[in-house]
Amino acid sequence: MKSERLDMTQHRRNSGLKVGALAVPTVAALILTGCSASTGSSSSSGGSQEFSLSFATSNTIESPFQVLAENYMKSHPNVKITFNPQPNDSYDQTLRTQLQAGNASDVVVTSPGSGTGRSILPLVQAGFLEPLDDAAKQLLPEGSASTFGSDGKVYGQATEITISALVSNETAADAAGGFPADYSSLQQQCKALESSGKSLFALAGSAPPNTGLMAMSLAASRVYAEDPKWNDKRAAKETTFAGSDGWKAALEAVNTLKDAGCFQKGAAGGGFDAITKGLASGTSLSGFIPAPSWKQLQSAAGGSQFAVRPFPAEQGSGKSYVFASANYAFSINAASKNKDAAKAFLDWAAQPEQTKAFAEIDGALPVSGLDKYDFDGGAYKNVGGLIKDGKYGPLPNIQWPNSAVYDALATGVQGIITGQKSPDQVLQAMDAAWEQ
Amino acid sequence: MTATMQPKSEAAEAPRRGKRTPGTGENTRPRRGPMQFGHWWWALPGIALVFAIHYVATGIGGFFAFTNWTGIGSFKITGWANFEAIFKDPTKLGALSNTLFLAFGSVLLGNIAGLVIALGLNRVLKTRYILRTLFFMPVVLSPLATAYIWKYIFDFDGPLNAFLTAIGAGDQAKPWLADPQWAIWTVLVVLVWSSTGFAMVIFMAGLAGVPVDVEEAAAIDGANLWQRFRNVTLPAIRPAVAIATTLGIVQGLRVFDPIMALTGGGPAGATETLATLVYKQAFALGNFGGGAALALVLAAIILIFAVLQQRLTRSNPED
Repeated sequence: MKSERLDMTQHRRNSGLKVGALAVPTVAALILTGCSASTGSSSSSGGSQEFSLSFATSNTIESPFQVLAENYMKSHPNVKITFNPQPNDSYDQTLRTQLQAGNASDVVVTSPGSGTGRSILPLVQAGFLEPLDDAAKQLLPEGSASTFGSDGKVYGQATEITISALVSNETAADAAGGFPADYSSLQQQCKALESSGKSLFALAGSAPPNTGLMAMSLAASRVYAEDPKWNDKRAAKETTFAGSDGWKAALEAVNTLKDAGCFQKGAAGGGFDAITKGLASGTSLSGFIPAPSWKQLQSAAGGSQFAVRPFPAEQGSGKSYVFASANYAFSINAASKNKDAAKAFLDWAAQPEQTKAFAEIDGALPVSGLDKYDFDGGAYKNVGGLIKDGKYGPLPNIQWPNSAVYDALATGVQGIITGQKSPDQVLQAMDAAWEQ
Repeated sequence: MTATMQPKSEAAEAPRRGKRTPGTGENTRPRRGPMQFGHWWWALPGIALVFAIHYVATGIGGFFAFTNWTGIGSFKITGWANFEAIFKDPTKLGALSNTLFLAFGSVLLGNIAGLVIALGLNRVLKTRYILRTLFFMPVVLSPLATAYIWKYIFDFDGPLNAFLTAIGAGDQAKPWLADPQWAIWTVLVVLVWSSTGFAMVIFMAGLAGVPVDVEEAAAIDGANLWQRFRNVTLPAIRPAVAIATTLGIVQGLRVFDPIMALTGGGPAGATETLATLVYKQAFALGNFGGGAALALVLAAIILIFAVLQQRLTRSNPED
């Protein structure tokens, strides 16, 4: 009897273990697949006043998206926003993975066009974004409707206008005899600065986004000032990068700047820290970085004034040109269960006072009312004239068909600086990437 | 030895006691030694997880190599198009040659250095235990964290160039990791540094099995240091050489994080390897199909070299 009972116990234990053995992988599989079933935030009962917001952060400074959302919560006490900040370098991948899995935040920060991982057009094509209403349509920067959606629908609400040109340490520039006004005096000043151990530009040569931004800034007066619709022609195959004299001149200018000693020593291996250190300490006068950085640099380098400047064009050419575009947008996740709350937030953010406040928080230009903006005396005084005269266009890579084109430009410019590649090779690689 | 075996045999006894009727003679039942302990299905959770996480995931990834999937949305099956693109693209072939250079370079130099250190620290030296720990340290430390320290050392404003300037060789100062000629050698230095300790440990384990009396006999017979190493020690540690080089090749072919942290594949692709290209294609450029195809090519290359390596270094041809 005792033996039987013991055997029974053993048998039961055996079956228990068998069940356990099967249960562990089953539960594991459920947990693994369960990830895709959950959503970013729970939907609350009765009108869902709760939603989540994903945005990219790249430094310790508080994100303007978070500040705006906190202001919204203050003015709407019944709303609760869950923040999902992601590091900037992994934001695109995280966003795509979460959207694919169905657990992305209700409101996500995207970019217009199709040039990056967070770009609106491929996400719309995959059915991940919700069409937005008139408030978003009214904020569309002129001529950029095709990068915010298709078939007359808009999937992103522009947040601010970002200038992409030069950010300069004005205090250091004044000490060096002023910022050069045209391209030939720029080359002379590069040589003078080099002999005093300084540089006109701080370049993050090992960080492809920075080399790419420099090349586009050089193309501003050489390609887009003459032909603002150049990208449309490239898309229609009426021209190519390799066949464009303007683009060739822009990349040859990289060699000219290098030979004139315009970059800091060891620029080819420099990271973004080379720019922040160089500009904050004044050992470099300027850098090719998005304009809102002037505000962060100014707060980091107490005592120095920072400003936004166009890249100096040839004297008397009248070809000064800057890139000014809405580079970031709010979009609503098509799989969101809190679309009403998300839409209410976007409608609120579209109000003129909110767009103005957002631009001030970030140090950018407001997405609405730019024609009435007071440029005098601020960080944007050097580009105010160009904006008012309409001598600006969207950042070119927003309109490029995929991120490989910009990658070919950015890594190619790195190769030009190190002597590995010729401008022609880089332009051919960009054409090849365009056709992918 | 007895002390360490004790818990094992006790554990092996435990289920037997439960199952057995007390009083029955031990010798009437067949003995179940420690090797019989356990049931095959106890491995099921592990097998299921390995199958789900490794094989199913790899299989799905392999399937996407034949599609044009961008990482989101729908996709089309494109057959061998992704593979054709790989072998037509000179940058990808450049990455392949960089991968082979770094793998074989780090295996060769890392193993020679590891063997020399293992021989040096084998018996005589009094400080050998401390030195072994120090040489093994790079294996334990995070490759990403140490890569950032190396990046700082090789930086244009870093300690290496400061040292060169201090000794009057300032004209040799350069951005090491952004120099098209030097970048790949700089990466190789870091890889050798991190792989030497691992090879050293394997060789030391091998050396522990070399009988001292044979070495002494060879010495008495008049063999010099090199002859003793060549004819006694090396044949005895041949299995260790096989293991160290095979693991080194596999590790070297798929090396990713130190390169990503040091150069990101730059300048302009000069240190790009298949592993960094897989990441860029699949995750940075949204060409998941192309990235998956590259990953399959990388896996095939690793497999081929691992098998070749095993065949070349096995001690007995009949193995």
